Amino acid sequence: MTTTDPAVSVRGVGRRLGGVQALQDVSFDLPAGAVCGLLGRNGAGKTTLMAVVAGHDRPDAGEVAVHGERPFENPAAAGLVSMVRDDQRYPDDFHLAHLLRVGPLFHAGWDAQLAEEVVDVFRIPAKPQLRKLSRGQSSAVGILVGLASRAPVTVLDEPTLGLDAPSRQAFADLLVRDLAARPRTVLVATHLADELEGLLDRVLVLDGGRLVRDAALEDLQGSASVVLGPVEAVERATADVGVLASRRVGGFLERVVEEPGGSARAAEDPALQVRRAGLQELVAALGAGPGPAATPRPDRLTEVSR
Amino acid sequence: MSAVLPSSSPRALGPARRSGASPSPVLAVLRLQAVKRFETWATPLVVLLLGLVFTVLLVLVVWRATGEGPGSPTLAEVGRGTQVAVPWLVGYLVYNGVQSVGTTFPLALALGTARRAFAVGTLLHHARVAAWVAVAVLAVRGVEVVTGGWWAGLHLLGGAALGGGDPVRLVVTVLLASLVAMSVGGAFAAVWLRGGARAAGAAGAALGLLVGAAALVLVAAAPDLAGAFRVWWLAVAAVVVTAAGAAVQVVALRGASVR
Repeated sequence: MTTTDPAVSVRGVGRRLGGVQALQDVSFDLPAGAVCGLLGRNGAGKTTLMAVVAGHDRPDAGEVAVHGERPFENPAAAGLVSMVRDDQRYPDDFHLAHLLRVGPLFHAGWDAQLAEEVVDVFRIPAKPQLRKLSRGQSSAVGILVGLASRAPVTVLDEPTLGLDAPSRQAFADLLVRDLAARPRTVLVATHLADELEGLLDRVLVLDGGRLVRDAALEDLQGSASVVLGPVEAVERATADVGVLASRRVGGFLERVVEEPGGSARAAEDPALQVRRAGLQELVAALGAGPGPAATPRPDRLTEVSR
Repeated sequence: MSAVLPSSSPRALGPARRSGASPSPVLAVLRLQAVKRFETWATPLVVLLLGLVFTVLLVLVVWRATGEGPGSPTLAEVGRGTQVAVPWLVGYLVYNGVQSVGTTFPLALALGTARRAFAVGTLLHHARVAAWVAVAVLAVRGVEVVTGGWWAGLHLLGGAALGGGDPVRLVVTVLLASLVAMSVGGAFAAVWLRGGARAAGAAGAALGLLVGAAALVLVAAAPDLAGAFRVWWLAVAAVVVTAAGAAVQVVALRGASVR
C-alpha cells in the first residue's frame, strides 16, 4: 500500500434489502485523511453504504476495500473501521462504564483520556443503561467511540442528531482538534449539511441508492445557484439550463440551477434574485429531483464526477 | 442556519494510548461478554438461591398448615413438586445465551471484530459460564447437605434428576443443562440476526415439529425405550444439542449483517 492508495475504495456496489434496491452501482474513492460528508434524504442509502464500508453488511454486487482490505469478515480489517450506528443496539444492563472498559480491547489506538473528555463535554450520564439514553445522549456515545477509537477510518452516523447547539459546536471543536492531532479518514452522514460544511473537504450525495454527486466541497459549493422571482421571468431566464429543482409559491418560482452558466441570464434581469445555493439546498435539490415546471437533464442529475 | 465551525484553533494532543488492545480478538470478545461482572457471575447464583428460598417458604407454609414436620413424606413431596430453582436457572441461562448473541453481536461489530472471533469467543464464554454455574450449584448443594436439607430435611438439589446426591453426576448434569440452555438461546439469537424475526419463528416452529414428529415415531416403542433407558442417553443428547446449537451460531453469524 502506498500513501496514494485510497483509504476507502468502493466499486460498483449494489445492495438489495427486501424489495428495495438500497444501493445501486455506487463507486467512489476516499483519499486518506479526507473528511467526507455523506448526504441525502431519508432512505437514500446512507446507512447501508456506511454499513458496507464498516463491514457490518456485505454488498450483493461490487467491491469495497478499506486500506486495501475487504471489510466484511476479515480479521485484518476489524480494527480499521469504527462505526456506531445512530440506532446502535446495546446489551441489557450495559452502562457507560462498561463501554469505556471494553473500547480499548478492540482498538489499539483507543484514547481513554479523550473518551473521558467526551463524557465530560457531552455530559453523558453514567447511571442509565446505554439503551435508555436520550437521542442526543446516544449520539454523544457514538461520538465517543468514533473519536476515542482513533480507527484509521471513522464512520459517524448522524453524530449531531438530537444534540443541542452547544453540543454540536463542541463536536465540531473536538473533531477538528483531534483530526489535527491524529489525521485519519472520516465519513460522516448528516442531514445538517450546512452546519457541518466547515468540517468537510469532500461530499458524497446519495439519492435512491445511487451516488448523484462525488465532489470536493469547493467544487460543489459553486455548482448551483438559486434563481427566484416571478414565474414567467424565472422560466424565461432558466429555459435552457440544467434545473435541479423547482418550487412555486403563488406567483413566484424558485429554481435551483446548475452552474456554470445556469444563472447567467437571470443575473441580467433586475426582477430576479440570484444567489449561490447552499450545500443543504443543493442536496435537497438533488434529492427532490426537478419540479413539474423544470427542464430536467437526467443525464446530469445522475452524473458522478470522479 | 449558521455553520458549526471550530471555535478554537487546533492544538496537538499528547500521544494516544496504544497499550490497551487485547492481543487476541477472541480474548477481546471473552472480556466483552463478561464486562458486566455481576450479571455474568453473580446473577445465576442469585436466581438459584431465590428459587430455593421460594421453595423453602412454600414448604414452611405447608408445614404450618399440616403440622407435619421435617422429614415427613408430605414435606418432601411438596419440596420436589415446587422445586423451581433449577428451572429458573435454566430460564435465565437461555436468556443469557440469547443476549450474549442478539444484542452483544451488534456492539462487537461496532467496536470492530470479525464474526468468527465473535462466535468462538461467545461459545467459550458459554462454556465458562456453564462451568461456573455447575461449581456454584455443587457449592450450594454442599450447604444443603451441611444444613441437613435447609434445616427441614429438604434435599432440593439432591433429586434423581440432579444425580440423586452424587456430586459428580450433579456437576455433569448442571454443566450439560447450562450448555444446552445457552447454546439454544444463542442459536436462536443468531438465526434472528441472520434472517430476522421470521427466520427465528420458523426455526422455532421447525424445532417444535421435529420434536413432535420424533415423539410420534417413538411413542410406539416407549415401553421398550423406558425399560432400556440409561441416564447417559440424556448426556449424549445434551452434547448433541449443544454441538448443534454451536454450529448454528457459527454458521448463522458468519453471514449475519447489522442493518
